[in-house]
Amino acid sequence: MKEIIKIEKLNKIYDTGAIQVHALKDLDLTIEQGEYVAIMGQSGSGKSTLMNILGCLDRPTSGSYLLDGINVTEQSENELSLVRNKKIGFVFQSFHLIPRTSARKNVELPMIYGKISASKRFQRAEELLKKVGLEKRLDHMPNELSGGQKQRVAIARALANNPPIILADEPTGNLDTASSVEIMELFSELNREGATVIVVTHEEDIAEFTKRVLRFQDGHMISDVRREE
Amino acid sequence: MLFWENMKLAFQAIRINKMRSFLTMLGMIIGISSVISIVSIGDTMRSVIAAEYENIGKKRVSVYINPEDGLYDDTCLFTKDDVEKLKDAFQDNIAYIGLGFYDRTNLQKGRKTIQVTIVGTAEKYTDVQKVEIIYGRMISDQDVKEGKKHIVIQDSTAMEMFGKENAVGEVVRAKISQEEQELLVVGIYKNTDSALMKLLSGGSLATAYIPETVGIRQNDTLWSLDMYVSDNADMETFRSQFVGALSRMKNKAKEEIEFYTAMEDMQTVDGMMSKLSLAVGAIAAISLVVGGIGIMNIMLVSVTERTREIGIRKALGARTGDVLMQFLIESAIISAAGGIIGTALGIGVVGIGGATIGIGVVVRPSVVITAVVFSAIVGIFFGLYPARKAAKADPITALRYE
Repeated sequence: MKEIIKIEKLNKIYDTGAIQVHALKDLDLTIEQGEYVAIMGQSGSGKSTLMNILGCLDRPTSGSYLLDGINVTEQSENELSLVRNKKIGFVFQSFHLIPRTSARKNVELPMIYGKISASKRFQRAEELLKKVGLEKRLDHMPNELSGGQKQRVAIARALANNPPIILADEPTGNLDTASSVEIMELFSELNREGATVIVVTHEEDIAEFTKRVLRFQDGHMISDVRREE
Repeated sequence: MLFWENMKLAFQAIRINKMRSFLTMLGMIIGISSVISIVSIGDTMRSVIAAEYENIGKKRVSVYINPEDGLYDDTCLFTKDDVEKLKDAFQDNIAYIGLGFYDRTNLQKGRKTIQVTIVGTAEKYTDVQKVEIIYGRMISDQDVKEGKKHIVIQDSTAMEMFGKENAVGEVVRAKISQEEQELLVVGIYKNTDSALMKLLSGGSLATAYIPETVGIRQNDTLWSLDMYVSDNADMETFRSQFVGALSRMKNKAKEEIEFYTAMEDMQTVDGMMSKLSLAVGAIAAISLVVGGIGIMNIMLVSVTERTREIGIRKALGARTGDVLMQFLIESAIISAAGGIIGTALGIGVVGIGGATIGIGVVVRPSVVITAVVFSAIVGIFFGLYPARKAAKADPITALRYE
């Protein structure tokens, strides 16, 4: 399988002036296309830092990060925007939908920045919302949707530009158990369809859905377990 | 750059916060409407004054002697003989010449007393000055030659004094040149000044016309000449010839003879008016800056409120320039919309005001265009700082913002 993420000797140090926090230490990590990965750890373990770096929202202090063959560490700010737009679909804990903007418009957003024509966007947003089971909520505003529905809009939005990687940061953190299961099943389905799904979580039963679990502590990866089907 | 998408976003943001957007625009609306109305009022006054001078006639000249040593003695005054000599010498070029007799006096009839400005006319006065007679006739050349004690008064004066407009045939008493006189009303004229001119001269006295010869006795002298140059005469040639002749006649240096045309007078007034309206307009323009600061303030609030939205947009692939444009376009639209509403309001106010007092107002398109363009520039200028703040936001921090 093709290596979609290749991280070598990656370090991240937060320098706040008075103190230096070494959030990630000499991390080596390879994720192949089509994998379903959980990143686990307590708060302060470095998992959020890894998530930000994987999502190209932050840059490593040293080391290299190849995303789908692109050396992300050498990219400019605007090039990183493009990488995020084309290669990564974000799903956040608190959904992060744009308020007072319909579900459809929210799903269209990455395509607007991806310079997809208006008519294509309109159609694709509808298809994606249908895929996540929200065909009847196209023109609803985020505040008219339940938590599970909001997260499904966010997933539809993450899929908008058909990115190779879905990056979910505590996607079930604000959801009840039933909605959490629905959302995780949706990720599993996306993974079966070929998407690389990376879920950051601290809940064991969420990690159960994935096929590979990476555990972090104090900036080190302490275990890497693959589950056989 | 996603220009149209940003336009849509801006309109959406303005719609969502209707009240706030309107209040933000209010600064621009007030600023632009005051600039437009002030400049338009100034332009209107200038056009009215220009029209007024067109009535008086640009060929009007006042002449007086201004001695270098500042000592005004008898040699600086003009006599009837001087007028006759000048009239003979320049008969082709002078349409009208008189001694410029003006006086302020009381007209009396029984117990009624009205103060008026008396103008003494010489021969041919009606050739050069339009007086709209509604009853009777104007002072004639015959009246002037014979020194007839006749008077022509304004309709309003007649109304006030005799309770009727047609007061021809009535007699009024007046003290003219320290001498009590009885004058026969031979004509009533109507004030044809424009509404604005009446406003500008508001409170000033009505004019009454008498033959110059009634006011000035044979040996009297006056300090100025009131003159109209013929239509076919060239003003500059005439000026030099006339000043030359007068300086020889009165034994004065050419520099001491002031030859003052109505044209120059008009240019002075026009220059003053345009400077005045520019100055007041500039003061009003300060309110535009205040409006711009209001826009900056609200945009900063808006950027802070939407920090998370900015973070989301950046995470989803918005580049720095995209976010910058989004907020810049928003502030430019708020500002330009305020500018357009303000322009409409300003033109409306001036138009209604003009219609009320019956004047055609002058609104220069260049002023309108400048105002709207300037308002958009103000919007962009004051939107720049908040927009840059938004664009430079770090997505991680912005996403975490509550």
